[in-house]
Amino acid sequence: MKRILIIDDAATVRMYHRGILEEAGYQVVEAVNGIEAMEKTLVEPFDLYLVDINMPKQDGYGFLSDLRSGELPQTPAIMISTEASSDDRRRAYAAGANLYLIKPVKPVELLLNCRLLLGEASP
Amino acid sequence: MAFIKRQPGEPLQQDERKRERECADLLRQLGDPTPAARRWAVRDLAGCSDSSQALVELLRHEQDSSVREIILTTLTQLGDETAVAALVSYLRSEDVTLRNEAVEAMKSLPDEVSPIMGALLGDPDPDVRIFAVNILESLRHDQVEEWLREVILQDPHVNVCATAVDLLGEVGTSYSREALENLKVRFPDEPYISFATDLALKRIRST
Repeated sequence: MKRILIIDDAATVRMYHRGILEEAGYQVVEAVNGIEAMEKTLVEPFDLYLVDINMPKQDGYGFLSDLRSGELPQTPAIMISTEASSDDRRRAYAAGANLYLIKPVKPVELLLNCRLLLGEASP
Repeated sequence: MAFIKRQPGEPLQQDERKRERECADLLRQLGDPTPAARRWAVRDLAGCSDSSQALVELLRHEQDSSVREIILTTLTQLGDETAVAALVSYLRSEDVTLRNEAVEAMKSLPDEVSPIMGALLGDPDPDVRIFAVNILESLRHDQVEEWLREVILQDPHVNVCATAVDLLGEVGTSYSREALENLKVRFPDEPYISFATDLALKRIRST
Protein backbone atom coordinates (compact mmCIF):
# COMPACT_ATOMS: atom_id res chain seq x y z
CA MET A 1 0.00 0.00 0.00
CA LYS A 2 1.41 3.42 -1.00
CA ARG A 3 2.06 5.80 1.89
CA ILE A 4 1.18 9.49 1.64
CA LEU A 5 2.13 12.19 4.15
CA ILE A 6 -0.24 15.16 4.47
CA ILE A 7 1.51 18.23 5.89
CA ASP A 8 -0.91 20.99 6.86
CA ASP A 9 -1.52 22.94 10.05
CA ALA A 10 -5.31 22.99 9.48
CA ALA A 11 -6.90 19.91 11.02
CA THR A 12 -10.02 20.10 8.83
CA VAL A 13 -7.92 20.17 5.66
CA ARG A 14 -5.96 17.13 6.84
CA MET A 15 -9.18 15.27 7.61
CA TYR A 16 -10.66 16.16 4.21
CA HIS A 17 -7.61 14.98 2.26
CA ARG A 18 -7.20 11.91 4.45
CA GLY A 19 -10.80 10.84 3.82
CA ILE A 20 -10.37 11.10 0.05
CA LEU A 21 -7.05 9.24 -0.02
CA GLU A 22 -7.96 6.49 2.44
CA GLU A 23 -11.14 5.76 0.52
CA ALA A 24 -8.94 5.28 -2.55
CA GLY A 25 -6.80 2.75 -0.70
CA TYR A 26 -3.77 4.77 0.37
CA GLN A 27 -2.16 4.69 3.79
CA VAL A 28 -2.17 8.25 5.13
CA VAL A 29 -0.05 9.86 7.83
CA GLU A 30 -0.38 13.49 9.00
CA ALA A 31 2.02 16.20 10.14
CA VAL A 32 1.23 19.75 11.25
CA ASN A 33 4.42 21.44 10.01
CA GLY A 34 7.64 20.79 8.13
CA ILE A 35 9.61 19.83 11.21
CA GLU A 36 7.16 17.09 12.22
CA ALA A 37 7.02 15.94 8.60
CA MET A 38 10.79 15.54 8.45
CA GLU A 39 10.82 13.64 11.75
CA LYS A 40 8.24 11.19 10.37
CA THR A 41 10.11 10.92 7.08
CA LEU A 42 13.33 9.97 8.84
CA VAL A 43 11.52 7.13 10.66
CA GLU A 44 9.92 5.73 7.50
CA PRO A 45 9.94 7.38 4.07
CA PHE A 46 6.76 8.08 2.10
CA ASP A 47 5.78 7.57 -1.52
CA LEU A 48 4.18 11.01 -1.89
CA TYR A 49 3.91 14.27 0.03
CA LEU A 50 1.03 16.75 0.09
CA VAL A 51 2.53 19.99 1.39
CA ASP A 52 0.81 23.19 2.52
CA ILE A 53 2.82 26.43 2.26
CA ASN A 54 1.88 28.54 5.26
CA MET A 55 2.59 26.63 8.44
CA PRO A 56 4.15 27.68 11.75
CA LYS A 57 7.66 26.56 12.75
CA GLN A 58 8.63 25.41 9.25
CA ASP A 59 6.70 26.30 6.11
CA GLY A 60 6.22 24.17 3.01
CA TYR A 61 9.06 25.77 1.06
CA GLY A 62 11.50 25.02 3.87
CA PHE A 63 10.34 21.42 4.18
CA LEU A 64 10.60 20.78 0.45
CA SER A 65 14.07 22.32 0.26
CA ASP A 66 15.22 20.10 3.13
CA LEU A 67 13.61 17.05 1.53
CA ARG A 68 15.26 17.71 -1.81
CA SER A 69 18.68 18.36 -0.33
CA GLY A 70 18.47 15.24 1.86
CA GLU A 71 18.22 11.58 1.11
CA LEU A 72 14.90 11.68 -0.74
CA PRO A 73 15.44 14.11 -3.60
CA GLN A 74 13.17 12.18 -5.97
CA THR A 75 10.06 11.48 -3.87
CA PRO A 76 7.13 13.29 -5.51
CA ALA A 77 5.54 16.21 -3.69
CA ILE A 78 2.39 18.20 -4.38
CA MET A 79 2.26 21.68 -2.93
CA ILE A 80 -1.28 22.73 -2.05
CA SER A 81 -1.94 26.36 -1.29
CA THR A 82 -4.55 29.09 -1.20
CA GLU A 83 -2.14 31.32 -3.10
CA ALA A 84 -2.81 31.35 -6.82
CA SER A 85 -0.23 33.77 -8.22
CA SER A 86 2.35 32.66 -10.78
CA ASP A 87 5.07 33.86 -8.42
CA ASP A 88 3.88 31.41 -5.75
CA ARG A 89 3.94 28.62 -8.32
CA ARG A 90 7.47 29.53 -9.38
CA ARG A 91 8.66 29.50 -5.81
CA ALA A 92 7.00 26.15 -5.16
CA TYR A 93 8.62 24.55 -8.18
CA ALA A 94 11.96 26.14 -7.31
CA ALA A 95 11.71 24.61 -3.83
CA GLY A 96 11.18 21.18 -5.37
CA ALA A 97 7.43 20.68 -5.87
CA ASN A 98 6.36 18.34 -8.68
CA LEU A 99 2.92 19.89 -8.85
CA TYR A 100 1.10 22.95 -7.48
CA LEU A 101 -2.60 22.77 -6.68
CA ILE A 102 -4.89 25.55 -5.45
CA LYS A 103 -7.14 24.98 -2.43
CA PRO A 104 -9.82 23.85 -2.12
CA VAL A 105 -8.94 20.77 -4.14
CA LYS A 106 -11.78 18.67 -5.46
CA PRO A 107 -11.56 14.91 -4.70
CA VAL A 108 -11.29 13.89 -8.37
CA GLU A 109 -8.48 16.39 -8.98
CA LEU A 110 -6.56 15.27 -5.89
CA LEU A 111 -6.81 11.57 -6.69
CA LEU A 112 -5.95 11.97 -10.36
CA ASN A 113 -2.81 13.95 -9.57
CA CYS A 114 -1.72 11.63 -6.77
CA ARG A 115 -2.08 8.63 -9.10
CA LEU A 116 -0.14 10.39 -11.82
CA LEU A 117 2.77 11.18 -9.52
CA LEU A 118 2.72 7.68 -8.05
CA GLY A 119 2.91 6.20 -11.54
CA GLU A 120 -0.52 4.60 -11.27
CA ALA A 121 -2.30 6.44 -14.06
CA SER A 122 -1.64 7.88 -17.50
CA PRO A 123 -1.98 11.62 -18.08
CA MET B 1 17.11 72.47 56.82
CA ALA B 2 14.92 74.74 54.77
CA PHE B 3 11.83 73.20 53.30
CA ILE B 4 11.63 73.76 49.56
CA LYS B 5 8.18 73.38 48.16
CA ARG B 6 8.07 71.66 44.76
CA GLN B 7 6.19 73.29 41.96
CA PRO B 8 3.26 71.14 40.75
CA GLY B 9 4.60 70.45 37.24
CA GLU B 10 8.23 69.92 38.15
CA PRO B 11 8.44 66.16 38.90
CA LEU B 12 6.52 65.33 35.76
CA GLN B 13 8.93 67.36 33.63
CA GLN B 14 11.85 65.59 35.20
CA ASP B 15 10.16 62.24 34.53
CA GLU B 16 9.57 63.21 30.94
CA ARG B 17 13.16 64.28 30.45
CA LYS B 18 14.38 61.06 32.09
CA ARG B 19 12.07 59.07 29.89
CA GLU B 20 13.30 60.82 26.75
CA ARG B 21 16.87 60.00 27.73
CA GLU B 22 15.92 56.39 28.38
CA CYS B 23 14.14 56.09 25.05
CA ALA B 24 17.11 57.62 23.25
CA ASP B 25 19.40 55.12 25.00
CA LEU B 26 17.14 52.25 24.03
CA LEU B 27 17.10 53.39 20.41
CA ARG B 28 20.91 53.46 20.43
CA GLN B 29 20.97 49.92 21.86
CA LEU B 30 19.12 48.67 18.79
CA GLY B 31 22.50 48.80 17.09
CA ASP B 32 24.20 46.71 19.78
CA PRO B 33 26.06 43.68 18.33
CA THR B 34 24.65 41.39 21.06
CA PRO B 35 21.21 39.93 20.29
CA ALA B 36 20.31 39.87 24.01
CA ALA B 37 20.96 43.62 24.30
CA ARG B 38 18.87 44.34 21.20
CA ARG B 39 16.11 42.08 22.49
CA TRP B 40 15.88 43.90 25.82
CA ALA B 41 16.00 47.29 24.12
CA VAL B 42 13.21 46.32 21.74
CA ARG B 43 11.09 45.00 24.58
CA ASP B 44 11.53 48.18 26.64
CA LEU B 45 10.76 50.39 23.65
CA ALA B 46 7.13 49.35 24.06
CA GLY B 47 7.03 52.28 26.49
CA CYS B 48 8.41 54.77 23.97
CA SER B 49 5.68 56.08 21.74
CA ASP B 50 7.85 57.23 18.83
CA SER B 51 9.87 54.07 18.37
CA SER B 52 7.82 52.23 15.72
CA GLN B 53 9.80 53.49 12.74
CA ALA B 54 13.11 52.46 14.32
CA LEU B 55 11.73 48.97 14.98
CA VAL B 56 10.47 48.67 11.41
CA GLU B 57 13.95 49.64 10.17
CA LEU B 58 15.60 47.13 12.50
CA LEU B 59 13.34 44.29 11.35
CA ARG B 60 14.46 44.84 7.73
CA HIS B 61 17.93 43.47 8.49
CA GLU B 62 17.59 41.71 11.85
CA GLN B 63 18.70 38.07 11.53
CA ASP B 64 18.20 36.83 15.10
CA SER B 65 14.82 35.12 15.34
CA SER B 66 14.28 35.96 19.02
CA VAL B 67 14.86 39.66 18.31
CA ARG B 68 12.57 39.51 15.27
CA GLU B 69 9.86 37.94 17.38
CA ILE B 70 10.01 40.62 20.07
CA ILE B 71 10.06 43.40 17.43
CA LEU B 72 6.73 42.14 16.09
CA THR B 73 5.29 41.86 19.59
CA THR B 74 6.44 45.38 20.48
CA LEU B 75 5.05 46.81 17.25
CA THR B 76 1.70 45.21 18.02
CA GLN B 77 1.79 46.66 21.54
CA LEU B 78 2.68 50.12 20.24
CA GLY B 79 -0.25 49.88 17.84
CA ASP B 80 0.24 53.35 16.32
CA GLU B 81 -0.28 54.16 12.67
CA THR B 82 3.30 53.25 11.69
CA ALA B 83 3.22 49.98 13.62
CA VAL B 84 -0.14 48.87 12.23
CA ALA B 85 0.86 49.77 8.68
CA ALA B 86 4.05 47.76 9.11
CA LEU B 87 2.21 44.73 10.53
CA VAL B 88 -0.29 44.76 7.68
CA SER B 89 2.56 45.08 5.18
CA TYR B 90 4.19 42.01 6.76
CA LEU B 91 0.97 40.07 6.15
CA ARG B 92 1.34 41.01 2.47
CA SER B 93 5.02 40.08 2.38
CA GLU B 94 6.39 37.44 0.02
CA ASP B 95 8.59 36.33 2.90
CA VAL B 96 6.64 33.38 4.35
CA THR B 97 8.63 33.38 7.58
CA LEU B 98 7.96 37.08 8.18
CA ARG B 99 4.26 36.59 7.42
CA ASN B 100 4.02 33.71 9.88
CA GLU B 101 5.97 35.63 12.53
CA ALA B 102 3.58 38.58 12.14
CA VAL B 103 0.55 36.30 12.43
CA GLU B 104 1.96 34.62 15.54
CA ALA B 105 2.78 37.98 17.18
CA MET B 106 -0.68 39.37 16.49
CA LYS B 107 -2.41 36.23 17.79
CA SER B 108 -1.14 36.89 21.28
CA LEU B 109 -2.30 40.50 21.57
CA PRO B 110 -6.11 40.64 21.42
CA ASP B 111 -6.54 44.15 22.79
CA GLU B 112 -4.02 45.62 20.38
CA VAL B 113 -5.23 43.72 17.33
CA SER B 114 -8.98 44.00 17.81
CA PRO B 115 -9.24 47.67 16.68
CA ILE B 116 -7.63 46.80 13.32
CA MET B 117 -9.34 43.44 12.78
CA GLY B 118 -12.22 44.96 10.84
CA ALA B 119 -9.77 46.56 8.41
CA LEU B 120 -7.80 43.32 8.03
CA LEU B 121 -10.93 41.28 7.34
CA GLY B 122 -12.02 43.90 4.80
CA ASP B 123 -8.68 44.07 3.00
CA PRO B 124 -8.96 43.77 -0.80
CA ASP B 125 -6.28 41.03 -0.84
CA PRO B 126 -7.84 37.63 0.02
CA ASP B 127 -4.49 36.38 1.35
CA VAL B 128 -4.46 39.16 3.95
CA ARG B 129 -8.03 38.23 4.91
CA ILE B 130 -6.97 34.59 5.30
CA PHE B 131 -4.11 35.65 7.57
CA ALA B 132 -6.55 37.80 9.55
CA VAL B 133 -8.70 34.72 10.12
CA ASN B 134 -5.55 32.81 11.12
CA ILE B 135 -4.89 35.51 13.72
CA LEU B 136 -8.36 34.97 15.14
CA GLU B 137 -7.46 31.33 15.79
CA SER B 138 -5.72 32.09 19.05
CA LEU B 139 -7.09 35.55 19.72
CA ARG B 140 -8.96 35.41 22.99
CA HIS B 141 -11.54 38.08 22.30
CA ASP B 142 -15.32 38.27 22.77
CA GLN B 143 -15.90 39.24 19.16
CA VAL B 144 -14.17 36.28 17.48
CA GLU B 145 -17.33 34.34 16.66
CA GLU B 146 -19.05 37.47 15.31
CA TRP B 147 -16.07 38.28 13.07
CA LEU B 148 -16.02 34.73 11.72
CA ARG B 149 -19.77 34.73 11.19
CA GLU B 150 -19.50 37.93 9.16
CA VAL B 151 -16.77 36.37 7.04
CA ILE B 152 -18.80 33.29 6.09
CA LEU B 153 -21.89 35.40 5.44
CA GLN B 154 -20.22 37.99 3.24
CA ASP B 155 -16.72 37.19 2.01
CA PRO B 156 -16.80 36.26 -1.68
CA HIS B 157 -13.56 34.24 -1.64
CA VAL B 158 -13.89 30.51 -1.04
CA ASN B 159 -10.57 30.13 0.77
CA VAL B 160 -11.27 32.97 3.20
CA CYS B 161 -14.58 31.30 4.04
CA ALA B 162 -12.91 27.88 4.22
CA THR B 163 -10.39 29.18 6.75
CA ALA B 164 -13.16 30.84 8.78
CA VAL B 165 -15.39 27.77 8.81
CA ASP B 166 -12.52 25.63 10.14
CA LEU B 167 -12.20 27.96 13.09
CA LEU B 168 -15.94 28.28 13.64
CA GLY B 169 -15.99 24.52 14.15
CA GLU B 170 -13.78 25.11 17.17
CA VAL B 171 -15.15 28.33 18.66
CA GLY B 172 -18.64 28.58 17.16
CA THR B 173 -21.95 28.21 18.98
CA SER B 174 -25.53 27.69 17.84
CA TYR B 175 -25.52 31.43 17.01
CA SER B 176 -23.52 30.62 13.86
CA ARG B 177 -25.61 27.64 12.73
CA GLU B 178 -27.72 29.55 10.21
CA ALA B 179 -24.67 31.27 8.73
CA LEU B 180 -22.97 27.91 8.29
CA GLU B 181 -26.02 26.45 6.54
CA ASN B 182 -26.06 29.52 4.32
CA LEU B 183 -22.40 29.02 3.40
CA LYS B 184 -23.17 25.66 1.80
CA VAL B 185 -25.76 27.39 -0.36
CA ARG B 186 -23.26 30.10 -1.37
CA PHE B 187 -20.68 27.53 -2.51
CA PRO B 188 -22.71 24.54 -3.73
CA ASP B 189 -19.96 23.20 -5.99
CA GLU B 190 -17.17 23.13 -3.43
CA PRO B 191 -16.89 19.73 -1.71
CA TYR B 192 -14.43 21.10 0.83
CA ILE B 193 -16.88 23.77 2.02
CA SER B 194 -19.58 21.15 2.37
CA PHE B 195 -17.20 18.85 4.31
CA ALA B 196 -15.89 21.58 6.63
CA THR B 197 -19.33 23.08 7.23
CA ASP B 198 -20.88 19.73 8.13
CA LEU B 199 -17.99 19.08 10.49
CA ALA B 200 -18.42 22.49 12.14
CA LEU B 201 -22.19 21.98 12.52
CA LYS B 202 -21.61 18.55 14.05
CA ARG B 203 -19.16 20.01 16.57
CA ILE B 204 -21.53 22.84 17.44
CA ARG B 205 -24.40 20.39 17.98
CA SER B 206 -22.28 18.30 20.32
CA THR B 207 -21.27 21.24 22.55
